Amino acid sequence: MSETTDQPVVETPEGAGKSDMIVLEGVEKIYPGSDAPAVSQLDMAIPQGEIVMLIGPSGCGKTTTLKMINRLIEPTAGRILLDGKDVTHVNGDQLRREIGYVIQQGGLFPHFSIADNIGVVPKMLGWDKQRIRARADELLHLVGLEPSTFRDRYPRQLSGGQQQRVGVARALAADPPVMLMDEPFGAIDPITRDRLQDEFLDIQRTVGKTIAFVTHDLQEAVKLGDKIAVFATGKLEQYDDPDTILTRPANDFVSDFVGGGAAVRRLSLVELAHLELHPIETDEKAADSRNGVAVAEVDGSGKPVSWRHLPGGDAAAVPLVTVPLSGTVYDAVDVMLDGSASLVAVVDEEGRAQGVLHWNDLVGGLRTRKGHA
Amino acid sequence: MNYLDYLTSNAQQIVFLTQAHFLVVLIAVGLGSAISVALGLAVSTGEPDPRRFSFDWFAAGVREGGLVFTAALLTVPSLALYALFLPFTGLGVTTAIIVLTVYTLYTVLRNTVAGLTTVDRAVLESARGLGYGRMRRLLTIQLPLAWPVILNGIRVTTLISISIAVVGAVVQGPGLGILLLNGISRIGAANSFYQVLTGTLFCLIVAAVFEIFFAIVQRLTIPRGIRV
Amino acid sequence: MSTATQGTVNVQAEEAVEEVEGKQEGGRLARLWMQHYDLVILPVIILLLLLLLFLYISTRDLDTIEERVLAADNVAGLLRQHLWLAFLSTVLVLVIAVPLGIALSRRGARKAQGPVLAVGGFAQALPPFGVLLLMAFWLDFGVTTAVIGLTLAALLPVLRNTVIGLQQVDQSLIEAARGMGMSARQTLFRVEIPLAVPVIVAGLRVALVLNVGTATLASYIGAGGLGELVQQALRLNRINVLLVAGGIIAALALLIDWLAGVVERVVVSRSG
Repeated sequence: MSETTDQPVVETPEGAGKSDMIVLEGVEKIYPGSDAPAVSQLDMAIPQGEIVMLIGPSGCGKTTTLKMINRLIEPTAGRILLDGKDVTHVNGDQLRREIGYVIQQGGLFPHFSIADNIGVVPKMLGWDKQRIRARADELLHLVGLEPSTFRDRYPRQLSGGQQQRVGVARALAADPPVMLMDEPFGAIDPITRDRLQDEFLDIQRTVGKTIAFVTHDLQEAVKLGDKIAVFATGKLEQYDDPDTILTRPANDFVSDFVGGGAAVRRLSLVELAHLELHPIETDEKAADSRNGVAVAEVDGSGKPVSWRHLPGGDAAAVPLVTVPLSGTVYDAVDVMLDGSASLVAVVDEEGRAQGVLHWNDLVGGLRTRKGHA
Repeated sequence: MNYLDYLTSNAQQIVFLTQAHFLVVLIAVGLGSAISVALGLAVSTGEPDPRRFSFDWFAAGVREGGLVFTAALLTVPSLALYALFLPFTGLGVTTAIIVLTVYTLYTVLRNTVAGLTTVDRAVLESARGLGYGRMRRLLTIQLPLAWPVILNGIRVTTLISISIAVVGAVVQGPGLGILLLNGISRIGAANSFYQVLTGTLFCLIVAAVFEIFFAIVQRLTIPRGIRV
Repeated sequence: MSTATQGTVNVQAEEAVEEVEGKQEGGRLARLWMQHYDLVILPVIILLLLLLLFLYISTRDLDTIEERVLAADNVAGLLRQHLWLAFLSTVLVLVIAVPLGIALSRRGARKAQGPVLAVGGFAQALPPFGVLLLMAFWLDFGVTTAVIGLTLAALLPVLRNTVIGLQQVDQSLIEAARGMGMSARQTLFRVEIPLAVPVIVAGLRVALVLNVGTATLASYIGAGGLGELVQQALRLNRINVLLVAGGIIAALALLIDWLAGVVERVVVSRSG
């Protein structure tokens, strides 16, 4: 494989502890009938186990880039490495069976049952029926659909959100190390989309795939991405973690694209678990030690319901709002604004109070993170 | 003699001619559909790349040309086509079937092409993304999804063929047309009107039988997930 | 805003447009040819085939019977009869079927559409030949009977076509018209019918093709037409006459369909 095109130096991403699963080297795509490249001289590396969000205005080449990774679109020039192996010239169909692929609307086969849809790739790979069936049930379970209910249904009997879950399950079927997702949640209503995104992150925590994900929604990119790649007319403008993209855009294009409200978007990047909580007491334990510690009333199951004492404040006048410790500053601000409260009780998974956060703590948390970044 | 008497006393001949009519149509539609579906499958490839000459160009040419040509054939009055084939294939059943087959081509070809090309792009793209090759896509995705449209084309062409087959009697093709020609040539004679009436109405009976047949085939062959 | 990118995109878009326009300037004719080449190919093929047929016949020694049947004035007379039959019945079909189709698209009559479409679909199996012959028994032999028979035979297919065509008129446009305060009548005449013109023209084409075809069978009930040639050829057992008759009928049908197709294209391109 002797490439005559001059090889540009591949950027090694900072802090590259993990190996790169997907590497694009000098990849270029010029569509027939067009002189300007849709993607030009693209170098990009996606580390193993990370979610990389490809984002940009329409026609920027993000989808073209995604489809060149599994060679649905053949690159005009350059090299694509998958787990260190050059796949630029291997059989496209074979290659695609080893890469998960999810598109908008799911693209489920309407004449296949849900189980058959999930079993498409395993069947091509020659798995036996028993194993395909077990795998379909396992995956339906993983994406939150009850196998006994859904296994034998047909796609049109499912809602859009359910179809998309099946789409993800189908892509995961043969346990491919790499998944490509082309605006998978684009055609879904905002509420369902939000839930699907959460579930998607949950699933990713268990499966740990290397994922390239095209979106046009910055909120989605910030929420899901370990890294974000911002594209403009065939060029990669910035490729960095979400925080850096939001706080230090590389150029005017990225800063225009990120637009106003970057600070608000960053709220969802800071996890509450990283902040220092003020102590909180419940009435059972220390009813008398009221010096400088907030005290909350709890109900029978130990969940705080109202404030009994607040240092330097009128406890009765302040409503008690709670946020789970697994949430982000965004969630905390949300409940505080919603309940007109100046502080929030942070609770664990069982709903028991773990500490208190004040408005200033949240703002401080954002500042420290910016300092670190 | 009233009509019922005519029917009962000539039952044997009428049943025979109705069966013959049914068979001629069945054979012609079977042949024509096989040819059209096969051709449709062979030429229903993707959009040709304007910059490169490939099989797609050839296929698109055959597809468009085939559609124009078979549509033109459908326009030719049946009497003319029977007349044109007669010198080459002779009087009788061969000519009747060949001409009828020619008439079935367009509707089935058009529906095959339309059915195959209107399959949801998202479905085709995901099939490609999952590693389906061209052949596998065509046979396991496109064909089953296009099948309702193709089958409907075959159904429509069958109905048309039933009425065209009648004219086949002028080249001594078998079927209900024989009753029409007999009746009109003996106009005024006993039962001549009944013969013509029977030849015409029994076409509807043949059509009804085919409709039932197609309803069953539809039930059996259209995949459950896309059944309306 | 990302003016830089948008600028680039716009420039690219404009370049693309210019490229297309450049090609168009290369010749309006070329573009017309690209769009309508099929309209030219068909008549050329028909004329070539007719020429071939003519050459073949002129190499043959025709006997007196053949010469008499194929005499120019005999053929021309039958052709005139044929066209007259087809023309009259087509006018009748349009006058009856199109208003009926429009009436069926009205709110009150829409329930009747389903049955009409179903019956119309099934009636495709009813042979026009049979209808024609039955009319002869009922009325008499002759041109009037033939025209009535032809009209009846083509009525349901054209009605079916009209109903389907009107169904396909974009409902949102009708809603918009009503929303702007047009009355039902105004909507019909200003929106629905203009939009349905292509449908009506398509109906005309279907009627013409059907009637030109069925008119070949009118000779069996003494109404003349080009079918007479085929009938004589079969009766006299003259292959040459058969070929000429078949060739002429086929060419006539194809040419008339072609003409109707040209009209259809002009009308459709005008009505948007």
